[in-house]
Amino acid sequence: MAALNLNRIRRRLKGRVQEVFVQRERRIFIRVAEEDLRETVKTLIRLDGFNHLATITGVDIGPAIELIYHIIYKDAVVSLKVQVPKESPVLPTITDLIPGAVFYEREIQDLLGVKFEGNSSSSLFILPDGWPDGVHPLRKEWTLGRISKKVRRLW
Amino acid sequence: MVKAIDIPFGPQHPALEEPINFTFEVEEERVVDVKIRLGYIHRGIEKLAENRTYHQNVYLVERICGICSFAHTTCYTQAVEELLGVDIPERAKYIRTIFCEMERIQNHYLWLGFTAKAMGFETLFMYTWRDREAMLEVLEMISGKRVNYGMNTIGGVRRDITGKMVERMEERLNYLEERANYYKKVCTKERSILKRTVGVGMLEPSDALNLCAVGPTLRASGIPQDVRADEPYAAYGEIPFRVVTYDGCDVASRILVRIDEIIESVKMIRRALDGMPQGPIRVKVPKNVPKGEAVSLVEAPRGEDLHYLRSDGSDRPARLKVRAPTLANLPSLRKMLKGVNIADIPIVIAGIDPCLACMERVILVDTKSKKGQAWSGEELWRYANEWYRES
Repeated sequence: MAALNLNRIRRRLKGRVQEVFVQRERRIFIRVAEEDLRETVKTLIRLDGFNHLATITGVDIGPAIELIYHIIYKDAVVSLKVQVPKESPVLPTITDLIPGAVFYEREIQDLLGVKFEGNSSSSLFILPDGWPDGVHPLRKEWTLGRISKKVRRLW
Repeated sequence: MVKAIDIPFGPQHPALEEPINFTFEVEEERVVDVKIRLGYIHRGIEKLAENRTYHQNVYLVERICGICSFAHTTCYTQAVEELLGVDIPERAKYIRTIFCEMERIQNHYLWLGFTAKAMGFETLFMYTWRDREAMLEVLEMISGKRVNYGMNTIGGVRRDITGKMVERMEERLNYLEERANYYKKVCTKERSILKRTVGVGMLEPSDALNLCAVGPTLRASGIPQDVRADEPYAAYGEIPFRVVTYDGCDVASRILVRIDEIIESVKMIRRALDGMPQGPIRVKVPKNVPKGEAVSLVEAPRGEDLHYLRSDGSDRPARLKVRAPTLANLPSLRKMLKGVNIADIPIVIAGIDPCLACMERVILVDTKSKKGQAWSGEELWRYANEWYRES
């Protein structure tokens, strides 16, 4: 099995890579535009040594939400990043490509308010019933104080 | 043909003592579809972590889970150490490895008991939990606690393993190995166990891969994936071991994978104790962590555990993401449950070793006067902050 290396990833992803960064042995970070997400995932899961998607991390970085898809290979961990603007946080689902992503997307929908087209549901997955609309606790503007004020009024 | 009906299962303890809600769509006695609802014990730990210092977070992540607490602290401290550029002492790496394996042994014994209970085999449940005490006793001897050991810290471990402890450990390990061999015989020969487990809760290898299963659940579908082997952390690179797989794809295989892992872990601890170098067990680290991000992986008893850490250069994380193994196994569980008989639901759920959360409390005992005094949250908070400022 050929080792997964940067040049191979670059070659396969052609011009889509916006930023690439090798932090240390076995750790590769790549950034692509949101419209390239599905094509990139499609390419990445076809590379040799692909194991599974470990999870999706969502980070509030101010004007945008950054999503990081941690993809595990036999000899590396590729963290694929995309950013979506906070005003219209919508991304296509990847559950048809990786069925195991289903709950990771649902979790992010609850906690960061990013909608995944094709896997969105109006019902909550992690937050309790009756949780107010628009309160996405992992967003930075929702400090602990603001959340508890809102929650105290609920129960 | 009867019309399909929905049966709610949980949130109060559907298979074991933790809250999760399943809605089963059943036709006659067969499950045709499953919906899962989480969050009954969501404590917002990722949010809390952003409001605590790196050091305080060691104690917070330890409390993500009462059973695999050491896996979480190992995963978290590894991420912080990577950002700090700190290499921990060799002896600390060995102690971490030994604790990881002891945790795996007590977890697998606990799980075997739960599974026995789920199939109505109460005697086996009692036996395995009695035997698990042998491991807890060793954990308590070294760390002072049965669970949430408080062993890990950023830069190493907090307590050493001395010669006297090693003697006691060897004795207990022999006992645990002997018992595991006995349970293996029981679980491969006992007809009532076989009837409840063989061919029940099937997960084909292709499904396990597509649904991103991890740990013993994946290895019981014949796929040899293990973070300890694929990406050796702590001292795993120096300790040879076998990645246990079975290809039955059913609950029976999940039992055998875990029993074999107990036996393998006992051997690994022996090898680690033999090869453990002398030297310091921790290094001092700065409070502020340089800007950057790190992905840390650990093979917890239940499977791959991932922590993602991002630092903005302050003494608190900008983001800590935790993905515990149970969430990774839920899509597979949903697949396994489709088609099973209603009576088999508990044992199939138990099969992935679900772990949803845990609790904490503190009592301070003055060893001289032997008087116990419960600390309020506020007193604990003050004590911790004073300690942090002084260090």
